[in-house]
Amino acid sequence: MTRFPENFETSLSAAAPKGVNLTTTTDAHGVSVMWCELADRNDLTSVGECLRRYHARLAMVSANKPPAPEEEEDDNDDEEDESAAGETNEPEQPMSFGGTPQDGTSYELVYHFDVGGDYVNVVAFLPAGGSIASLTPLFRSADWPEREIMEIYSVTITNHPDPRRLFLDESIEGAVLDRLIPFSQMANASTSDELWARVMAAAKEA
Amino acid sequence: MTEHTVASSYKIPVGPLHVALEEPMYFRVSVKGETIENVELNAGHVHRGVEYLATKRTLLQNMILTERICSLCSNSHPEALAMAAETIGAVEVPERAQYLRVIAGEVKRVASHLFNVGILAHLVGFEALFMHAMQVREVAQDLKEAVYGNRMDLGAHCLGGTRCDMDDEAIAFMRTALDKIEPDVRELEKTYRTNGSILRRTRGIGILTHEDAIACGVVGPVARASDIQYDVRTAAPYHVYDRLPVEVPVLDGCDVWSRAMIRLQEAVNSIEILWVCLDHLPDGPINDGGDPYIPPGQAIARTEAPRGELVYYLKTNDEPEPERLKWRVPSYPNWDALTFMLKEAKVADIAIIVNSIDPCISCTER
Repeated sequence: MTRFPENFETSLSAAAPKGVNLTTTTDAHGVSVMWCELADRNDLTSVGECLRRYHARLAMVSANKPPAPEEEEDDNDDEEDESAAGETNEPEQPMSFGGTPQDGTSYELVYHFDVGGDYVNVVAFLPAGGSIASLTPLFRSADWPEREIMEIYSVTITNHPDPRRLFLDESIEGAVLDRLIPFSQMANASTSDELWARVMAAAKEA
Repeated sequence: MTEHTVASSYKIPVGPLHVALEEPMYFRVSVKGETIENVELNAGHVHRGVEYLATKRTLLQNMILTERICSLCSNSHPEALAMAAETIGAVEVPERAQYLRVIAGEVKRVASHLFNVGILAHLVGFEALFMHAMQVREVAQDLKEAVYGNRMDLGAHCLGGTRCDMDDEAIAFMRTALDKIEPDVRELEKTYRTNGSILRRTRGIGILTHEDAIACGVVGPVARASDIQYDVRTAAPYHVYDRLPVEVPVLDGCDVWSRAMIRLQEAVNSIEILWVCLDHLPDGPINDGGDPYIPPGQAIARTEAPRGELVYYLKTNDEPEPERLKWRVPSYPNWDALTFMLKEAKVADIAIIVNSIDPCISCTER
């Protein structure tokens, strides 16, 4: 038995017509955690509206870019499977629930909601370059996490009321977790008098 | 006489380096006369990329790393990380370790809350009370040092249990310390409840209405001072909290004073919880002696840190390093509430209001 309200799972499923994959675990203290994978990320808004009716609180949004699965079978004769991955090749491409290829370029966004002490984690899958609707119009607490996701990954969140940078300055190229940044560059050790030149230029302008 | 045109409102910067803020946060405040019209927050001054670093460290190393994200609620970070990993690995934590985890958490809560109300007295200009609150907190600091060997980062937890045990000597020391600190904390609570200087500067200041608090999704004492009865220890019990006398004080004052009172009442309750823990501390192991195997999986874990609900999301794969480790600290949603609290407030109250959310910037920005 969970503490979730009656018909909670039915309402969630009804809010996502393209399909949901629900798994619920309950611990020894009677606290439940539900994972709700969306087949179609466009269902996020209606699922959000449904959770709002249950007075859910959006506690956190996690974004992740799962790495490409390692190719285990090296005895395969075909050596060109790198370029042909996801095509008509034999080793089948792992897919998420709903059919987003898990090839190291897609993202998964997890929206963690508190519903009366229990947690509902709504998982949406995004292919590379995909976008997802903002939950900020529904949940004010989505504002900062969504802005943070937009600056660390190449994820577009549409309809965000205030899509400014959150932590990173505008002068820094975005999607910092999507690319390798050499340490010397990150620590600014490879630059010489660039900073000083900028300070002097700014002083002249003032 | 020449005629001067006077702008009706001004923008003043508060921070990123400011005498009343210990950590860098930049508030762009629009004022009309002495009254604040609007506040804009500019964060990112201590953004260090710890979440990225966490994916390059093993779970064991992350127990050390996450404790260093923040100093005041340091203990809650490895605690929540361990709980997430233990959920994935279905690791049973020995009962004695669960009690010891509660003890570490509650000692940190007492010290953290006393620090915050102490700073409040300092910002009010009541230096004698500030010194006194810090003096009382010092007992909790000594207690941490005596039991764990450290005054801030306790290193109390490990995967599958706790790292340090408490022997009879440590328990006796803690009893003496609790005996000493309990009347002082109760006295402090009475002072903050009745002292005119405190009341004049904190009552009706920094209002966050119940509706706005729900909209912002605030947690911890900030939420409970706006009449939201939510505490992870009772809403989603963990360790042995369901067997302990956890009280969730709630006030509807929605102001700076209510937040301070909640913290003081919680400090009193924490001491009561500590007494019960010491009385009922069972015998047995505190961990299983090795590093438990954590299979691929994902889990969410929550603890009630001194500032409120701390959430950890852990996703593991076949590697020893986590695929993703993400956490949301209680300060993170609470910042947003400042835009409501500071509206129509006086410039002179900015520091007091900011302190009332007990902000942690190094936590927020990671």
